[in-house]
Amino acid sequence: MHGAKRRKIQIAASYAVLGLVVLGVLIWQQKFPPLALWLAFAFAFAFFDWRSVEVNDRMLMSPTVMVALTAAVAFGPGTAALGVAAMAALGAFSADDFRQRRWFQPIANFGQLVVTAGVSVFVLEWFLQQAPLPSTGNTFWLWIAGGSAVAATVYGLINYTFVTVAVRAVFEKRDLRPWSNLGQLLPSYLLMGFVGGLLGATYTILPVVLPLVFVMFIVGYLSFASYGQLREAHEATLRGFIKALEAKDLYTRGHTERVAYFAQLVGEEMGFNGTRLERLRWAALIHDVGKLAVPRDLIRKKGKLTEDEYEELQVHAHVVEEILAEVEFLRPMVEIASSHHSHYDGGGYGGVGHTHGEQPSSEACILAVADAFDAMTSTRSYRMALSQDYAFSELRRNAGSQFDPEVVEALSRALGRTSERYGSPHLASEEEARRLAEGPQVTSHG
Amino acid sequence: MGDPRVPVRSPLVPVVWALGSAALAYLLMGYTERSLLEVGVWAILLAEASLVSLPASSGNRLSLALAVSAALPFVLSSAGAVDLGAAGAASAMGLLGTWMFRTLRSDPAEEVMAAVLRHGFGVASYLVVFAGIVSMAGAFPAAAGNVDGVRLVAFAVAGSLWFLIETSLWAFMVFGRNRLSRRYLWLLAVKDWTVVLSLLTTGALFGFAWGELGFWAVVIAGIPYGFAHLAFYRSQESRRTYGQTIRALSRIPEVAGLSPKGHSDRTASIAIEVGQDLGMTPDEVTDLQYTALMHDIGRITLNEPSILKMGFTDEDIARWGAEIVAEAPYLSHVAALVRQQHQPYRRPGEERDVDLPMSSKIIKATSAYDHATMELGFSPLEGLEVLHRGAAYDFDPDVVQAVRRVLERRGVVPA
Repeated sequence: MHGAKRRKIQIAASYAVLGLVVLGVLIWQQKFPPLALWLAFAFAFAFFDWRSVEVNDRMLMSPTVMVALTAAVAFGPGTAALGVAAMAALGAFSADDFRQRRWFQPIANFGQLVVTAGVSVFVLEWFLQQAPLPSTGNTFWLWIAGGSAVAATVYGLINYTFVTVAVRAVFEKRDLRPWSNLGQLLPSYLLMGFVGGLLGATYTILPVVLPLVFVMFIVGYLSFASYGQLREAHEATLRGFIKALEAKDLYTRGHTERVAYFAQLVGEEMGFNGTRLERLRWAALIHDVGKLAVPRDLIRKKGKLTEDEYEELQVHAHVVEEILAEVEFLRPMVEIASSHHSHYDGGGYGGVGHTHGEQPSSEACILAVADAFDAMTSTRSYRMALSQDYAFSELRRNAGSQFDPEVVEALSRALGRTSERYGSPHLASEEEARRLAEGPQVTSHG
Repeated sequence: MGDPRVPVRSPLVPVVWALGSAALAYLLMGYTERSLLEVGVWAILLAEASLVSLPASSGNRLSLALAVSAALPFVLSSAGAVDLGAAGAASAMGLLGTWMFRTLRSDPAEEVMAAVLRHGFGVASYLVVFAGIVSMAGAFPAAAGNVDGVRLVAFAVAGSLWFLIETSLWAFMVFGRNRLSRRYLWLLAVKDWTVVLSLLTTGALFGFAWGELGFWAVVIAGIPYGFAHLAFYRSQESRRTYGQTIRALSRIPEVAGLSPKGHSDRTASIAIEVGQDLGMTPDEVTDLQYTALMHDIGRITLNEPSILKMGFTDEDIARWGAEIVAEAPYLSHVAALVRQQHQPYRRPGEERDVDLPMSSKIIKATSAYDHATMELGFSPLEGLEVLHRGAAYDFDPDVVQAVRRVLERRGVVPA
């Protein structure tokens, strides 16, 4: 059996068994909460859990923790853990999973969510039993909301552990990236727990507000979801456009996607995460958009450009960059993209937000290396692809002047780890590659 | 779109209005046992809240004052019955304060007046319907004793009514100013339902909690509101940026010198107004805007020397453009509109083409108008003449009429 699949089955089976055991113990130990109340909360939990919003690269957010803890406080001790665990069990199976015939996610999620919910609500129940009467006012509220915040933190930690273990075992290590910032996640768990506890306690005193609380959540969630969708549409639009515009020029086809890939590899190697990594990837995607406004004969020109022609190319490119920089959210990415021709030592051409003589940002240095590496290892109009070894020797030769040495080594390490190889397997020198491209069989009308 | 403006012709109007609401508040205070201090505190809160506004897609300026007003029949009630005198007086004073605060902040006078008027109508009907339902509920044995349940129902009914009044009045006021189609305006206003719903619900949540839990009500209603508030802002921001991105991309052929400068921007600005005039829905108008911005994107292909040598037609531009736009999955319907932009609305000897989308017909006409006036050097009237002459096959007469109305409204051709 294939290794990844075997590991998947192991994880799914052990999580599911763990979940069933916890569920069994809870059924044996606790009573089920009132059915109507349970259904209302189960609906809200599933609604949020099935429709998590992608806020950042593959980082999903949903207020399920808050719903779980509101429900737990509303159910009260003796029924809470069973009620919430049952909600979680239901929430793990989404319509999307069935549609896409996924089996691993729902089964593993079933196990880990039941355990997470059961254990964290069990912690909360201790606080609920210790809490003073509602008549004590502030003490009561702080006790409940505080306990709920603690329980939410426990929820976050357990959930994190389960997911980390599963992802490490089943997928490549790289897929852990969105989860690498537990420190950023925990405060939001804490806050959601606090609010959840407050709302649950409000329900115990004033049951009538429950529909209003649900309305607030769903309305807030809907706008948040529309934000997520738009963000996605945004990225898809920009990416699609650039791909399409680029496709009009056969020689750069695929170049952007590869540069984005190399830049991402280096970014991960250098410990970027979240927004910073995403920004780097976007900058790579738009790094050549300036070329779209450059007269075609200049792009297609055989051989090296004269100094004047190069100047002209830069001017054209910068006109486009200025336009894109008017879009607020694109500005930081355009700045990175447009200074990728600047040299590490401050020489070369500057761009938007970069002056000659300054050291470019490390993002721009990464982009410069990724761009140059792909330029050397892919076939151009005027020469065949060079070998990867040759490309690295060139990069190292210019490290410290044109390229950031740290970036060059990071790319080398990252490619060594993925054991991918680019470029021609044997060609060694620039001259030889050019001679081959000028052979009788290659004619270009550019 | 912005907020509608009621023309204020004389400085006397606000003075009369201010004295009127003060008198109303004084009158209503006679019907309540509550102290002026208590009522006044709610009025000040209402006025303060009017300074916190939420972004609504229509441009209608909806503020937290809606939430405070929604809470009034809850917090100003005795033994379940609404204290209409106190709630009414608090609203009248609160709106007076709103007007003062917003004027001090130098918001445009007409806008403030319009907002205060809408809010006044809305809250008055809300309070009366709410109080009516609560007092009638006593007649039903099923409702007796369930005070909270009755109040929840009263809130739902009166709140829906308020929503209808607020949106209709807004659409009516904007219509009075710039004669867009009523259907477009009303649909635009209704799109704000999430914002209105979250504001009213916040008020009710606060109202319920205030009586039982005191100041914790602020936290309990405030935090969910805060989440919704942030979500609305992010969503608004992201919508705006999306438009900006598409506009920026649409300008690439222009800076490359492949299509005339500013053409797509100008075409979009007329096309939007034509679409609004013809009663398209807000979503259709958004698509129309994107289509107009990108209708010439196919021209980017024109820096290929071989294509220039072979020559090209309008259909080629439309097809290349559609191919590029279709790469973005979210814009596939826009791509279809770009694809059909060159089609005549009818061909000789045939009926008009009913399958041709309105948006494509609008782009064809508005783009031709901009071409005639900006590149051929025609006057606006001559540009319109070009459209009229082409109305046999190329330009749909309905669209041409709409373009005429838009140009008249802009004052570039005589009405």
